[in-house]
Amino acid sequence: MPAQTSSTPAPAETATPTAISLQGIVKDFPLRRGTAVRALERLDLQIGHGEFVALLGPSGCGKSTVLRMVAGLEQPSEGEVAVEGRSPADLVRAHRLGVAFQEHALLPWASARDNVALPFRVAGRPVDRTRVDDLLALVGLTGFEDARPRQLSGGMRQRVAIARALALEPDVLLLDEPFGALDAVTRRRMNLELARIWMEQRITTLLVTHDVDEAVLLADRVVVMTGRPGRVRHVQQVDMPHPRGTEVTRDPDFHALVDRLTAMLDDPEPTAEPS
Amino acid sequence: MSSPVAARAGDRGLAVAGVLAVLVLAELIGRTGIAGVGWPPISEVALYLTESSAQQLLGRALAATGAAAAAGFLLGTVVALLVTALGALLPATAPGLDRLAAVLHAVPLIAVGPLLITIAGRDATPTLVAALASGFAVFIAATSALASTNPAQRDVFSVLGAGRLVTLLRLQLPAGVPLIVDGLTLAAPAAVLGAVIGEWFGARRGIGVLLVSSMQNLQVNQLWAAALTAAAVALLAYVVLVAARDVVNRRFS
Repeated sequence: MPAQTSSTPAPAETATPTAISLQGIVKDFPLRRGTAVRALERLDLQIGHGEFVALLGPSGCGKSTVLRMVAGLEQPSEGEVAVEGRSPADLVRAHRLGVAFQEHALLPWASARDNVALPFRVAGRPVDRTRVDDLLALVGLTGFEDARPRQLSGGMRQRVAIARALALEPDVLLLDEPFGALDAVTRRRMNLELARIWMEQRITTLLVTHDVDEAVLLADRVVVMTGRPGRVRHVQQVDMPHPRGTEVTRDPDFHALVDRLTAMLDDPEPTAEPS
Repeated sequence: MSSPVAARAGDRGLAVAGVLAVLVLAELIGRTGIAGVGWPPISEVALYLTESSAQQLLGRALAATGAAAAAGFLLGTVVALLVTALGALLPATAPGLDRLAAVLHAVPLIAVGPLLITIAGRDATPTLVAALASGFAVFIAATSALASTNPAQRDVFSVLGAGRLVTLLRLQLPAGVPLIVDGLTLAAPAAVLGAVIGEWFGARRGIGVLLVSSMQNLQVNQLWAAALTAAAVALLAYVVLVAARDVVNRRFS
């Protein structure tokens, strides 16, 4: 296994300057009286500009914690997180991050259009109405601009959430199980949609998921994490050309890859493995 | 389709039956005189209310009390919301503000009244007591409303780089509107009762004044009429705000 961990083509990384860099990340969550649970153990991860990386791992492996640290919502106990060479807090202050969670977290009192316009208002910028409507068109919601979230289906709400994340043309897009609450059919359709949207935007993207198909379909690189405490177990380059449509999902190579990564998730890994 | 409607009609029928039962009971107690001269038959109180002199008297009192209660309700609500907003914008002050509100509320309004008379005068006292009584309900509702925003929404605001003021105005306040309106439904009757208590200490007119003078002059029917009027107004304020709450809930959730 340690050999596979370093299977990432190192030259390619030095060629593209890193957009997101996590180095020696340790995260402890304090429990009662001095005890703590270690969620992440010396995790290293570099993501290049315009790269789509999927973080795959069993539940409770700390993959969401990684994303939350990149988003500035959590601080590492040890190690350093840098986004575009700055601290996540700097990027947040500059309104350069876009995020979508499993919970759509739309404002229920606002229309789809106002929800997508929210980042403009938060940043104190004039709302670019054309941009907002273009984004709603991009996620396939033309005609639903004035609908309120509860009038939309689960998949449509997630589309609005993704359009909102893209509103200010962020440097980095963070997706935490954005389709985790959807049924399998809708989820697959949303994956294909996201693949198309991403092709048009080419934003540096970190996707956290436990769905292997989703990770392989969307990502340039799939990073498999170990169980708690989470570390990088394996990095898988996915070389199939973008945009990946339904034909990719029928490709035997795709399935072979999915099977390999799934096996890795199922396999109880020797977490005590020295690194 | 018809069963919820039928159920609601049934509920309403039960409510009407309950009110009627209470009225009949009160009438019986008054007629038999088992509660003494202080408890007249309700029909006599109703008859008294048909007299034009009584109507004028109660009308004037009601206007004064209503004005004091409305002004107090407005003042209490505005101050409570401003204090809540201060706590949200400067989180360090929030525990102190909570304690201050609790202490203020722990002082009985009956004890505050004479104090206010000497400080603010007899005209302002009903309004101020009404503001105190209603403001606390609004403050408690508003602080819990602002704290109850969904964590995922808060995370989105954090990542978008929203400051405290933007988060307050664009997330916490709109998300908290239904809970704040809940607080208002409790604050409105509290304001009416606060105004009556404030008048008790020597306002020029008002339901509270009428209660005191009827009691001292053994005007039993007038006493009951004044008390029932105060209760009816408090109830009306509650009903109006509950209706408003339904509209608001549809808009904000």
